[in-house]
Amino acid sequence: MDQQLDVSKLSEADKKELTQILTSEAQKSTIQQTVHHLSDICWKKCITGSISSGRLDQAEDTCAQNCVERWMDTNFAVLKHLETLRGGQ
Amino acid sequence: MALFGSDAPAPANQKVALINQIQQEAAMNNARQLISKVNEHCFAHCIPRPGSSLTSRDQTCLSQCMEKYISFWNTTSRTYGVRLASEQKKLAGQDVAAMNAFGTPSSE
Repeated sequence: MDQQLDVSKLSEADKKELTQILTSEAQKSTIQQTVHHLSDICWKKCITGSISSGRLDQAEDTCAQNCVERWMDTNFAVLKHLETLRGGQ
Repeated sequence: MALFGSDAPAPANQKVALINQIQQEAAMNNARQLISKVNEHCFAHCIPRPGSSLTSRDQTCLSQCMEKYISFWNTTSRTYGVRLASEQKKLAGQDVAAMNAFGTPSSE
């Protein structure tokens, strides 16, 4: 951009639209961040042998899915246990 | 493009330009991270003992690894997205249930 945008000169509707777009981009970015992290840890668990094809085979695909699902389960299990720990105090 | 000073951008155009820039930068950021992860994992996988140059075998491995990583990322993304949506749905249902049971301490 060769010219600075003066945000204060925007109309209320434009400001609202920009805020909405920024919020949704930030959300998207957070989700993508988690996907990068998940791909990172699940790749280590699922791709252990030598790579002989560029395609994801059935076992690897299933492993990736299970890995994501169990990671989510772990998340919830930890939260749930934390809750019981707090309740026990 | 304002070589002849004729197109001082209207605020509306500036807004569109800003939105485009934000979205482009977000996409770039995502791509950059993906590339960095591909580099990290495929280097670890394909080049266990770095020699004086990449063999053609190394290069084949790198290409295949890269394609595989991208497919892997897509599966991860899809699975996570579906799970996230279903959890959100569950949570929305729970909110209603929690509101109905308001005042009674949860036994769970």
